Amino acid sequence: MSAEVYLTACLWMSLALLASLISIRIGVSVALLEIGMGILGGNFLHLHITTWINFLASFGSVLLTFLAGAEIDPTLMRAKLKESIGIGLVSFLFPFAGAFAFCLFILRWKLHAAEIGGIALSTASVAVVYAVMVETGLNKTDFGKIILSAVFVTDLGTVLALGVLFANFNGYMVLFAAVTIPVVLLIPKVTRWYFSFVGNRVSEPEIKYVMVLLFLLGGLATLAQSEAVLPAYLIGVAMAGVFLQNQDLAHRTRSIAFTLLTPFYFLKAGLFVSLPAVLTSIGLIIILFLVKMATKLIGVYPISVAFHFKPRDSAYITAMMSTGLTFGTISSLFGLTHHIITQTQYTMLVTVVILSAVVPTLIGQAFFRPALPSDTQERGLGGHPADEASGARRGTPPRLAPQRALPDSET
Amino acid sequence: MKSKPSRPVFSGTNATMFKRILVAYDGSEGSKHALRAGLAIGQYFDAEICAISVEGKLPRYAATLGEVDEVERERHQYFDHIQAEATQIAAELGVELGTVVAPGSPAEIIVKTAREGKYDLIVMGHKGHSRVHQYLVGATTDRVAHLAPCSVLIVRQSADSAG
Repeated sequence: MSAEVYLTACLWMSLALLASLISIRIGVSVALLEIGMGILGGNFLHLHITTWINFLASFGSVLLTFLAGAEIDPTLMRAKLKESIGIGLVSFLFPFAGAFAFCLFILRWKLHAAEIGGIALSTASVAVVYAVMVETGLNKTDFGKIILSAVFVTDLGTVLALGVLFANFNGYMVLFAAVTIPVVLLIPKVTRWYFSFVGNRVSEPEIKYVMVLLFLLGGLATLAQSEAVLPAYLIGVAMAGVFLQNQDLAHRTRSIAFTLLTPFYFLKAGLFVSLPAVLTSIGLIIILFLVKMATKLIGVYPISVAFHFKPRDSAYITAMMSTGLTFGTISSLFGLTHHIITQTQYTMLVTVVILSAVVPTLIGQAFFRPALPSDTQERGLGGHPADEASGARRGTPPRLAPQRALPDSET
Repeated sequence: MKSKPSRPVFSGTNATMFKRILVAYDGSEGSKHALRAGLAIGQYFDAEICAISVEGKLPRYAATLGEVDEVERERHQYFDHIQAEATQIAAELGVELGTVVAPGSPAEIIVKTAREGKYDLIVMGHKGHSRVHQYLVGATTDRVAHLAPCSVLIVRQSADSAG
């Protein structure tokens, strides 16, 4: 092993460390800051990609997608299924079709590049929405659950489009489907049996089992010219119930992902963003961002109203469904690494994706944030009744302090 | 036999000074000094005392749901720990302390809680954990002192130590 490998790893991990430290201090997600560090690294430090970095980054995106599937609460999905599927599907289809058409006919991108554009801008971000829901307490209301479930549906649409649109429908695809379908169907039962059999060990047989499945199906998907994130998401969804019951396993898997894998992925995602291209394409970036917002608005707002949500709540749902981050960058990076889009197109898409993580959230929270109908009961507040009006909180009520005897009060 | 201390009153009014005291507590040394001061005042005025800890915001624009969950878990663990610590400090002085943990912007939550809980005194440390935050958005103490609906006591460590 050459010293260069270690020194390169040191540089990449230093940027990831810096992103973590800044994230802790300013409260912005480490992923977004890692993308930012990647942008700095690519534009100013001449950070470059090697084979092993490619592998770590690629597996980072696979594990990230697996976690996105595994973190779905199956009971959440079953609640208000009609609304969730309706809103989620429209939230995927309208921006996908709109952005695809815009890239193809107005920007004159090639067909497959326009497809990447459509997929990247169709996304909604579960994590961005989830943080908002938890913070506001909406995650415990039916309203919040519908939004979260709808985002999961949109994500599924994105992953399926990415996995299917660019695949070769040949013998390898048949093999991939023939292995994936039974594996995904059997996973819930087999995993429960296997986990109870091996138990929680320091040698981590549970996480290794997950990785074997991800590598196997990821390899088969890649042979079929599909994308490894497709089986990863499906495996994640199939294992969601097991992960929900085993929070310690989820914690350990996240630790591995966040320490060694996802930093390389997000740094790499930022690395290819060209700052000169951002400056020269700023007008197009704004237009593409508006295309995403407009198509989400045209699709999501009317269907939300049709599901009898109030106009203000429908506007809030639209804002939340317009967010995006992880799958937007994954699909853009897929396009770039498979030479489907150019670096300028990649820069435009990733910049729009980052904007969509920030702007719709701010708009939704500032202008359309719904009131919580039964705030104190639904959010499980504790404490003195008079204290309970101030948000999601826990604690014990204040009591009268026993009076302190003064030194001269002894008799 | 112990006799109650006489209660000071505002000159020209009959109001008892402090019946409900809210102590801002983030586990820092400054907030520990504030807590001890709040407990002493509470004992003196026979007041209800509550320690409030305000959890910072969850990571904005997260890439995975797990990142949010993990931060929330760590946050709960930390704040449960410091609230237990505050309760222990109060118990050592023979005082039963109410505790509240709430998420959000510290100044905003402290002021809102004081207003809605009809507290008549907020006690805060002069310095909390975050110096950077202080320079970026202004000290929490400044904002609370400016917006509070009641009296605010800002406890300096040196003054407390001396006392």
